[in-house]
Amino acid sequence: MSFLAPAFLAGLAAIAVPVLIHLINRERKVVVQFPSLMFLQRIPYRSVRRQKLRHLLLLALRCLAILLFAAAFARPFFAHRAAAAGSSGARSVVILLDRSASMEFGDRWTTARAAAKKIVAGLGPGDRGTLVLFAGDASVASPPMAAAPQLDASIDAAHVSSERTSFAPALKLASQILSASTLPRREVVLISDFQKTGWASHNEVTLPPGTTITPVDVSGAASPDVAVALVTTDRDSAGDRDRITVAARLVNTGASAAPRRATLAIGGRDVQTRQITVPARAAVQVAFAPIVVPSGATKGAVRITPDSLVSDDVLDFTIAPDAAVPVLIVDPASPRPNQSLYISRALAIGDRPAFRVTEKPASAVTPRDIDAQALVILNEVALPGGAVGVRLRELIAAGGGVVIVPGGQNADAWPAEWRALLPASVGPVIDRTADARGTLSSVDYANPIFEIFNVPHGGDFSTARFDRYRTLKPVAAGRVVARFDDGAPALVERDIGSGKLVVWASSIDTYWSNLPLQPVFLPFVHQLGKSVGRYADPRLWFTAGDVLDLSRHGELTAEFASARNADSTSALVLESPSGQRERLSADGADHITTLREQGFYELRGPNTPVGSGRPIAVNVDPAELDLAHVDPRDIVTAVEAASARMPAGDGANAATPEDRERRQSVWWYLLLAALLLLATETMLSNRLSRATS
Amino acid sequence: MSTFLDPTVLSRISNLELLARTVVEGFINGLHRAPHLGSSTDFAEHRAYMPGDDTRRIDWRLYARSDRHFVKEYEADTNMNFTVILDVSPSMRYGASEEDGRLSKLQYGCYLAACLAYFSNLQRDRVGLATIDTGVVDYVPPSARHLQHILHALDRIEMSARDAAAAPGRAALLQPMHKLADVLRRRSLIAVISDFYEDADAIMAALSQLRGRGNDLIVFHVLDPREIDFSFSDASNFIDMETGEKMPVIPDYLRKQYRELVREHTTTLARRIGGTRADYSLFDTSKPLDQALFAYLAARQRIKRVR
Repeated sequence: MSFLAPAFLAGLAAIAVPVLIHLINRERKVVVQFPSLMFLQRIPYRSVRRQKLRHLLLLALRCLAILLFAAAFARPFFAHRAAAAGSSGARSVVILLDRSASMEFGDRWTTARAAAKKIVAGLGPGDRGTLVLFAGDASVASPPMAAAPQLDASIDAAHVSSERTSFAPALKLASQILSASTLPRREVVLISDFQKTGWASHNEVTLPPGTTITPVDVSGAASPDVAVALVTTDRDSAGDRDRITVAARLVNTGASAAPRRATLAIGGRDVQTRQITVPARAAVQVAFAPIVVPSGATKGAVRITPDSLVSDDVLDFTIAPDAAVPVLIVDPASPRPNQSLYISRALAIGDRPAFRVTEKPASAVTPRDIDAQALVILNEVALPGGAVGVRLRELIAAGGGVVIVPGGQNADAWPAEWRALLPASVGPVIDRTADARGTLSSVDYANPIFEIFNVPHGGDFSTARFDRYRTLKPVAAGRVVARFDDGAPALVERDIGSGKLVVWASSIDTYWSNLPLQPVFLPFVHQLGKSVGRYADPRLWFTAGDVLDLSRHGELTAEFASARNADSTSALVLESPSGQRERLSADGADHITTLREQGFYELRGPNTPVGSGRPIAVNVDPAELDLAHVDPRDIVTAVEAASARMPAGDGANAATPEDRERRQSVWWYLLLAALLLLATETMLSNRLSRATS
Repeated sequence: MSTFLDPTVLSRISNLELLARTVVEGFINGLHRAPHLGSSTDFAEHRAYMPGDDTRRIDWRLYARSDRHFVKEYEADTNMNFTVILDVSPSMRYGASEEDGRLSKLQYGCYLAACLAYFSNLQRDRVGLATIDTGVVDYVPPSARHLQHILHALDRIEMSARDAAAAPGRAALLQPMHKLADVLRRRSLIAVISDFYEDADAIMAALSQLRGRGNDLIVFHVLDPREIDFSFSDASNFIDMETGEKMPVIPDYLRKQYRELVREHTTTLARRIGGTRADYSLFDTSKPLDQALFAYLAARQRIKRVR
C-alpha cells in the first residue's frame, strides 16, 4: 500500500492522546489501604474485569478511529491490483515449457507435456493461460491469454529443439506477458529438467509483484548417457594429397562403463567403425585412421550407438579443403630492389591460412586480377583510377581488404573518390634519422592485428626503428591502431561496407624502417593479412542457436562469388535440415540468420542444384549435454529476490499514483469506518457512564 | 451536650480518664432522673442456713429471736465483672485522617472502652480489659482498682496504621476468644469492640466461646462511615490492611454490590447475635459515644432484671 499524502500520517501521533489519557487515568489509580477486601473479593471478579475490558475497548476504538482518520487523509492506494486482490480472482498463468535438446532424454518430454496439460486442465473459466516454449530463447506458442483448448493444441504441436537451455529469456518473456495482464492473480509455471547450465547466477530476472512461480521438475532419476562431445581434425600432407585424421571424444555420464560402436561417416557413407568401451563417468578419445581430404566441402559425422538421448549420439562436421587467402601485391613500375620481397616471403610462410601471393606492377593490373582476391596491397603505388579503381572499391565493399603503403607517393594526385574513402589523409614525410629514429610506442591490442601480441613475450615492436614515415591525419571514421613514439599514427584503418581499408605510414621493406628484419614482422604481416583479408578459420560445425553471419564467413560463400558477380542481385538460399528455406545474401542486409536445427544446412547459390550446395553442420550445444541439475528453488528464490528489489510502479502499473488513488478511493471507506467507530464509541461510553451512575 | 460527646471533639482530649469522665458525667447529668441507680448493698431476704454457708453471714439477731439459723441475703452482687475486649488488629487502624480530624476505628474503640470502663467503675463494678488481634495482646484482669491500668493499657496501644507488607495476616476472633474464655472464669459482662471482618459463622463461633461460659455480651460493631457507604470515587489499588493483598478496584462499579454485602453482613450479625440474647450495636466512628453508654446501660439493666 502506498500513500498519496504521507505527511498526513504524522496525524497518527494523535493516537498518543487517548493513550496518554488512559495512562494518566492509570496513574491516578492510587493505593488505598482498606481494612479488608473480604467483601470486595466476594463480588464476582468478572464484572471488574469486564469493566476494565470495556475501558480498553473504548481506548482501542478511539485509537483506531484516529488511525483511520490519519490514513484516510494520507490518501492510501494499492500499488498493485494483484496485491489488493489477494489470493482470489481470475488467474493469468504463463506456462514455460522447456524444449531444449536435453528434454529428449528418457521420458522427460512426455512428462513435461503431461504436466503442462495438467496445468491447463486446472485453469478456471475466468483464467487465461499462455504457453511459452523456450530453449536458447523463448517464444509464445499459443495465442496470448488463450483458453484451455487452444493451449492443449499448442502443447500437442510443440516439439523438442536442438538448442541449449536458458531460463532467463523465458522468464523475461513471462514477465512481459504478465505485466500486460489485467487479471488479479499472476502465476508462472516453469516446466523443465532444470539443467544447471541454463541458469547463470547473474541472471537478473524480475517478475511483476505478486507473481508466484511454480517449478515443475521433470528431470526424474538420472540415467546413463554417452555422448559424442567433440570431433577434431588434423590435416597433414602425404605427397601431393592432403590427409585428415578425425578423432572424436566420447563422454559417459553414467555410473557404469558403456560399450559403444563409433562410426565415422564421410559424404554420407560409413567409412570406419571402432568398437570402444567408455568407462563410467569418464571420456575417451576415439581416433580414426587418416583419410584423404575430399575435394570440395563434404559432410562428415561421428555416430555412436543410439541411447536414451539420441541428439548427442551423433556429431556432424564439414570437411573442406583448406582455402588459401589470395593476396595481390601491386608494385610500382620501377620498384626498389626487394621492395615487396619481405612481405611476399612472409606471407608465403605458413599454412593456416596459406596466403596465395600474386605480385603485379601497377600498370599490368586489370579488373579481372582484382576478382577473387581477398587482400590487395598497394605497395607505394598511386591509387588506381578507372575500372581497376572501381573494382578495387567494390572488393572492399564486398568484404575484401586493401592495404595502402603510400611511401613517397604524392597523395594529392590520388583520385578524389579514393581520398573520400581513405581512413586518414596522407601528409608530408617525417624524417627521424636526425634523432634517435622512431619506434612504435602505442599499439591497440584490442585490434585483431595486434591481438596476439597482447600476451607476455608476445612480440616486441620496440626494437623496430623507423627512419621515415608519412604524416597521417585520421578522418572521423578512421581508427588509429598504432602510433609512433612522437604520437604520429602508424597504422590507420577504416571499415568500408563489409571490407576494410588500411594505411601503413612507413614502408614494408627495409628502405624506411628495419621492421622487416624484426622477429615480429612475420606474425604482424600474417595478422594484418588475416584481419584485413577478413579471414576466418573454417568451422567444422556450428552449434544450434549460433548466429550465422555470412559476411564473416567468406569460406562459406567463396564458391558462389563468381555466380554473384554474374548477377549481383541474386541471393543465396539456406535450406535447413527440415527443409525450410531462407534467402540470404553475403553482403546485403539479410546476411545474418540463426541456426536452430541439428543436422546439415545447405547453402546454395542462385544456380546451384539442390544437394550440391555448401553443407553447414550444426550440432547440439555441448553445454546442453551436461545434465547437471540445478535446484528449482534456487531459481525461484533468485527471481523472487530480484523482483523484490525491483522498484514498484513500472510496466503495466505505469498509471500515476493519483490515478490509482482516485480510482480506488480507499480514503472514502476509511473515513466511513472511522465515523462508524466513533459512533460506536459514543454509544459504548454512554452506556458505561449510565452503568456507572 | 452532645457536642461534648462528639468523637471528633473528644479526640482533642489527650487524657483518657478526663475523656471518659467528660463523657460519662455528661451522660449521667443528662440522665439524672433515671431510676436505674440503686444501691448495690441493699438487704434482700433471709434464708435458712445450709451446711457450707459462711457462718459469718448468719444473722445472730434473728437466731436470738427464733432460735433458728438464717443467713442474710443482700440485693446481691451488684458489683459485677465488666471486661472490655478490644480488637486491635490492623484493620481497626483504618479511618484516621488528620485533615478532617476523623478518628480511626481503633481510636474510637479506645474511647469507647475507656468510657465504658470509667462508667462501669463508677458503678463499683470490677473492670478489666483484653486487647486482641490474632491472639491476646494485652490483658488487664477485672478489678475495682484496675481502672488506671486499663486506661494506661489503652493509652499504650499503637494507633498508627502498620505497613501493609508487615501485616500479620487476617485476625480471627476464635483463638483469642477461646483463650479469654479460659481466663474469664467468673461470670462477666463482656463488651466486644471489633470491626468483625469475618464470616458470620466464624464470629458466632468465637462469641459462643464467651457465651458458653455464662457471660453476658455486648457487641459493639465499629466501622468507619466509608466502610459502610464505600464513598470512594477514583479507581484505585485497594490493599487489605490485614493480609496485604492487593486488588484493583473501580469503586463506581462495585459500590452498589459492596453496600449490599455490608448491609447483609451487619443484619446477619444483628439477627444472630440478638438470637443468642446478646446485644449488638453497629457504630460508625462518627456516632457520639453516649449512645454506646446507653447500649451498655440497657444491657446491664436487663442482666439485673433477669437475675
